[in-house]
Amino acid sequence: MQIIQSLLNGILLGGLYAMVALGMSLVFGIMKLTNIAHGDLIIVATYICMVMAVQFSGNLLLAVLITICFMMLIGFLLQTFLINKVLDKGPEPPLLVTFGISITLSNILLLVFGADARYIPNTLKTINIVNTEHFSISAIYLLNFIVAIVVICTLHYIMKNTFFGRSIRATADDVTTAELMGVNTKRIYSYTMCLAMVISSIAGLLVGMNYTYYPSTGTEYLIYAFGVVVIGGMGNQMGILLGGIILGIAQLMGAYFFGTGYQLLAGYLVLLIILTIRPQGILSKATRR
Amino acid sequence: MIQLLASKPFKILNIKIIVLILIISIFLTLPLWSSEYIISVFVLIFLYMSLGQMWNLLAGYTGLVSLGQQIFIGLGGYSLAVITVLYQLPIALGIIVGGVISILFALIISQPIFKMRGDYFTIGTWIVAECLAVFFSVWTYVRGGLGFNIIAAYKLSTTDIYYMAVAMGLGSIALVYFLLRTKIGLALMAMRDNESAAETLGVELYKTKLKVFLIAAFVTGLTGGLLYLSIAYIQPRASFSITWTVAMVFIVIIGGIGTIEGPILGAFFFILIKQYLYNYPGISMIILGTVAILTILIAPKGIVGTLQERYGFEILSIRRR
Repeated sequence: MQIIQSLLNGILLGGLYAMVALGMSLVFGIMKLTNIAHGDLIIVATYICMVMAVQFSGNLLLAVLITICFMMLIGFLLQTFLINKVLDKGPEPPLLVTFGISITLSNILLLVFGADARYIPNTLKTINIVNTEHFSISAIYLLNFIVAIVVICTLHYIMKNTFFGRSIRATADDVTTAELMGVNTKRIYSYTMCLAMVISSIAGLLVGMNYTYYPSTGTEYLIYAFGVVVIGGMGNQMGILLGGIILGIAQLMGAYFFGTGYQLLAGYLVLLIILTIRPQGILSKATRR
Repeated sequence: MIQLLASKPFKILNIKIIVLILIISIFLTLPLWSSEYIISVFVLIFLYMSLGQMWNLLAGYTGLVSLGQQIFIGLGGYSLAVITVLYQLPIALGIIVGGVISILFALIISQPIFKMRGDYFTIGTWIVAECLAVFFSVWTYVRGGLGFNIIAAYKLSTTDIYYMAVAMGLGSIALVYFLLRTKIGLALMAMRDNESAAETLGVELYKTKLKVFLIAAFVTGLTGGLLYLSIAYIQPRASFSITWTVAMVFIVIIGGIGTIEGPILGAFFFILIKQYLYNYPGISMIILGTVAILTILIAPKGIVGTLQERYGFEILSIRRR
C-alpha cells in the first residue's frame, strides 16, 4: 500500500508547492513579470524566520509575523527602486534585473550564513495525525495543505471584494485605463510585490519546516514555482493549487517507481511536457501572450 | 593609385588592419614573454569571451534569452571526460565529440523548447539544464555524483591550452562577425526590428532561430570541452550549474548587449574582477550582481553601447557596405 501513501503525500505536498508558487503567480499575472529572484526571496524569508525563531525561543507564529514585516519592506524597496524602473523597457531588462537580484541575494546569504544545510526545528514533523495500517498523514504535510487553502481563499476574497483588489485587477487588465481612472499603477505594482512577499514569507516558513535548505536552494523553488504557475495558468488561484498537486504527485510517483534519485527529475520532466503541450496552462482558456 | 591610398575610407581601413594585426600578434606571442599566471588568466578571458559571444548572439541578436547554456558546457566537458578517461582516446576527439553531441542535443530539445516563447523559453531552458544535472548525478555510466579526474589534461602545458583558447576566442568573434553579415544576419536584424513584418517578407523565423541556436550550442560545447581541459575535474552539479550562464549574462550586459565588442570588453572585466576577488568568491558574485543591475538601470546598452551612442564609432561594423 506504499503507492497510496505516496499519492496522499503527493497531494498534501502540492499545498507547499502551491504556496511557493502563489506569490510568483500574483506578480506574473499583474505585472507580466517573471521574477527570477522569487525562489531566493523565499529562502531569504526562511533564513529570517530561522533567526527570529531562535530570538523568540521557538515561537514560530511570532517569528513569521516579524519576517512578513521584513519581507514586505524588502519587496517594496526592490520593486520601487529597481524593478519599476525597467518594467516598461521591453522584455529582457526586467528579467535580467531580477536575475541580478537573485544572484546577489543568494550570495549575501552564503556570506552571512555559510553553505551549511539549515532546518527550522519543529515538533510537527514527527507527529502523525492519522495512523492506519495502510497509510498515515504527517502533521506537517497536513499543515502545508491547510495553510495553502486558507491563504488562497483569503487572497481570492481580497482580489474580489476590496478596493485594493479591484485596483490591482484593473491595473492588470488595462494599465492606461486604470491610470485614467486615477490608479497609481507603479504604486499598485509595489503593493502587489508586498502582498506577494507576505505569501512568500509564509511559504518560506513552511519550506524551512519541511526540508533542509542552503543559500542556493532558491533555484529549486523558483523552478517549482514557475512550473506550478505554468501548469495552473496565470492569475488563477484554484489552478495554482491544482498545479501544485500535479507537481507533488509527479515527484512522489517518480520516486516510487524509479527510486528517490529520480524524484526531482520526474517533477521537471512533467513540467517540460506540460510546458510543451499546453504552454497556456491546463485550466486557462486564454490565448498565450 | 596614390590618391586612392590617401582617400579617407582606405586610410581608416589601413589603420584598423594594422592595429588588429598588432593586437593579434601580441596575443600570439604572449607565452614567450609573460608568466604562467598571466597566461592562465588569458586562457579564461578567451574562453569566457567565446561563451559571451555565443550568449550575445542568442540574446542580443536573436531574442532567445536562454538561461540553459550550461547544458552545452556540461555536455562538452563530459564528452571530453568520457572519451579520454573511459576510452583512452585523444583529447582533440573528445572536444570535437563534445561539440557534435551539443549540436545533436540542441536539435532534440529545440522541438519542445521552441514552442515556448519569451519568459517561458528562458525558464524552459533552465529546467532542461537542471534535469541534466539531476540525471548525470544518478547516471552510473558517468560515475554519478563522483565525476571524473580528466588525467589526459595533466599532460598539456598551459601554453598548449592557451593557444587553443586563443583560437576559440578569436574564432568565435570571427564567426559572429561573418555570420551577421550573411543572409542570416540580415534576417536576424529584420526579426529584431519587427518579427511579423519580417515573416511577411519571407524570413523563416523558426529556421533562422534554430540555426543560430545550433551554432551557439556547438561553439559553447567546444568551449566547455576546453574549459574542462584547464579545470581537469568534472562533476555534474558544477558542470551544469547556472553559474556558467550567470557569467555569460554579466559579460554581455556589462560589455554591451547586441554589440560584438561588448562581450570582448565584458570578458576582460569579468575575469579581472573574478581573479582580483579570488579569495572571496561570495563577494565577487555580489559585486558582479550589483554592477549588472546598475548597468541595466543606468546604461542599458552596456559600456560599448553607451560609448558608441555618444561618440558614434564602430570597430567591428556588421553593416553592409
